[in-house]
Amino acid sequence: MEKQNRRSFLKTSALIGAVATGISTKTANAKPKNILSEDRMGVLVDTTVCIGCRNCEWACKVAHNIPTEDRIKYEDRSVFKHMRRPQPNAYTVVNEYPNPKNAVLPTDVKVQCMHCDHPACVSACIVGAISKEENGSVIWDTKKCIGCRYCMVACPFQIPSFDYDKPLNPEIRKCDFCFERTKQGLLPACVKNCPVEALTYGPRNDLIKEARERIKRDPDRYLNHIYGETEAGGTSWLYLANQDFSKLAFPSPGDKPMPGTSESIQHGIFAYFVPPAFLYALLGGIMWITKKRNESK
Amino acid sequence: MNKKILTIIILFFSITIYSQNKLPKNHSLTNLTCKTCHTCDVPTKKNPCLVPCPRSEMVTINQSPDQAPEVEVLKELSSRYMPVVFSHKLHAQMSQMSGGCGTCHHYNTVGPIQPCINCHETSRKRADISKPDLEAAYHRQCINCHREWSHSNDCTSCHALKNKNESISIASYVKKMTGKSHPALVEPKKIVYETNYNKGKIVTFFHNEHINLFGAKCIDCHRDENCTKCHDKNKTTNVQQIYSDVPIKIHKSKEEHHKPCFSCHQDDKCSLCHKDKSMAPFNHAISTGWALNRFHENLTCEKCHGSSTKFVKLNNDCNNCHKDFVAGKFDHKVTGLKLSENHKDLDCNECHKEKNFTKTPTCENCHDDKSFPKDKPGTEVNISSKKKK
Ligand code: SF4
Ligand code: SF4
Ligand code: SF4
Repeated sequence: MEKQNRRSFLKTSALIGAVATGISTKTANAKPKNILSEDRMGVLVDTTVCIGCRNCEWACKVAHNIPTEDRIKYEDRSVFKHMRRPQPNAYTVVNEYPNPKNAVLPTDVKVQCMHCDHPACVSACIVGAISKEENGSVIWDTKKCIGCRYCMVACPFQIPSFDYDKPLNPEIRKCDFCFERTKQGLLPACVKNCPVEALTYGPRNDLIKEARERIKRDPDRYLNHIYGETEAGGTSWLYLANQDFSKLAFPSPGDKPMPGTSESIQHGIFAYFVPPAFLYALLGGIMWITKKRNESK
Repeated sequence: MNKKILTIIILFFSITIYSQNKLPKNHSLTNLTCKTCHTCDVPTKKNPCLVPCPRSEMVTINQSPDQAPEVEVLKELSSRYMPVVFSHKLHAQMSQMSGGCGTCHHYNTVGPIQPCINCHETSRKRADISKPDLEAAYHRQCINCHREWSHSNDCTSCHALKNKNESISIASYVKKMTGKSHPALVEPKKIVYETNYNKGKIVTFFHNEHINLFGAKCIDCHRDENCTKCHDKNKTTNVQQIYSDVPIKIHKSKEEHHKPCFSCHQDDKCSLCHKDKSMAPFNHAISTGWALNRFHENLTCEKCHGSSTKFVKLNNDCNNCHKDFVAGKFDHKVTGLKLSENHKDLDCNECHKEKNFTKTPTCENCHDDKSFPKDKPGTEVNISSKKKK
């Protein structure tokens, strides 16, 4: 019901925007793909196995044509002195935390987009640039993105980042679950390059079973909590750890899907007021046009 | 040349595996259900229908490192790097300090010791995700010990980078590794730890006593350990520290560090081990008020106090163990004093008040004018030749 409302709202606003700016509704149509497949894939990140080698960071950059230093430079552990977040030029980063069980083997945690089952970013995007695909990946369409940064605000995990280096055409950047690679039957680059397979790629349902099995087999090693099983309504990327996730800088977004929140905000503000919706669409339309212009340049 | 050596190694390895190919006796009595290892109801010698990886700790064959393959060349996964020349025997020797073969060959069936590749697939993209792939399996076994030891993930300490301009000879590596042995382990006598416990910072651990006296087995405490217990790449002092009085700091958490002690000492007070300064060795007389005589001093604690994991407190009554030590039956001459006819049949507590054998015996029950040891209720005999166990 809610979705329908939202869609019709978006359609309306797109239509108004289109009328206001003289573009056909077809191109500005905002209907995001949002598939929740039973067979969606995921990754189980076992932080008790991760050694913090940052091979995944390197591999991710190479796979996405992001310039990077030589792999050998990634052996430098001094980067762990400061906590890092994913960046426009680093879709994934590894942070290090003390390990209460063994001081000389710290806990390393890889951070990237969680590929939520009910992605807040998809719901928040006013032009439908972000979509959740059949295989679980939450990807974005550079051509549609207008750089409004709504997804950034909506994401419970603070994942999307913006390329501020291009002020006129800022662009969302985040882990795309290696959509291009998996389409060709390849593993995500980080999974492929992890020397200890701290990252296990597989159907999300199997991963949850496997995670349970690991906890059962070695209850001393693991905290009995699969992060991402229910967080924010469930995510494709799942984590195991030996200590409380809050100590590893994981947020506690609750078990309810986030989109509900952002959608209701949109509805609350705009549903029955045409003027704000109109302004909103107008602004969106202008941004969209600017972008088109920049692109064609 | 390269190939020849490889062939020899492979041959050696297959022979070793073949010679291991015998089941231990009574393996059916292991504390496991048959289904843990066999898929069919009636496994036979011809068709044992074994589960490839039972996922249950059960290595029963603990070979001596000398039976193990000397060097292994791991080349299944070499792409970016050269094959790894792994000093298997050397590592097997080191593993004796922890879980033996089972340290790496975990979940091994009661059959022959399996190489990693028997259970771990070479492809990362696979249907069965319950076990890591081969690359991960290798790395997981190696990397944490190496990390603790060297504090980095230095890939190149095992992997030589492939270099087009330079041909690295694997054979020469194999040669270099062959015949290397870990020096014999010197068992520490005493280890002093500095802890964070305010009411007693110093814990003295008498290693020799736990082994020789209290009857602990290596594996009772050394379960999940590696070389870093004694070695650190950055500090050559570790080994010496362990054998000296200088307190060493521990890097494990309180729980982890207490774990080996708690399998026996779980009900003891903290102050049993935590003191302000280092402790003196165990002395039966001081700790219990009862000095061990020559018959008892060579016994292990278990002989009198039951299992080494749960010692039972005894009192001074000989009858606790020696049920036949009663008046008239006890051969007093083993103590060095043969009782005279008059004294022979007296009850023990006539002279040993309240059967307290640690105190000087008394004569006052019958004699006003006599006292031990000036007067003796019999004749002294030479006992040195009759040393009894
Ligand atoms: S983690 Fe954030 S960016 Fe990734 S799918 Fe979820 S809401 Fe979107
Ligand atoms: S899945 Fe792909 S895009 Fe995402 S972190 Fe891994 S390598 Fe980077
Ligand atoms: S490659 Fe694997 S082990 Fe290395 S930092 Fe990334 S997740 Fe951890």
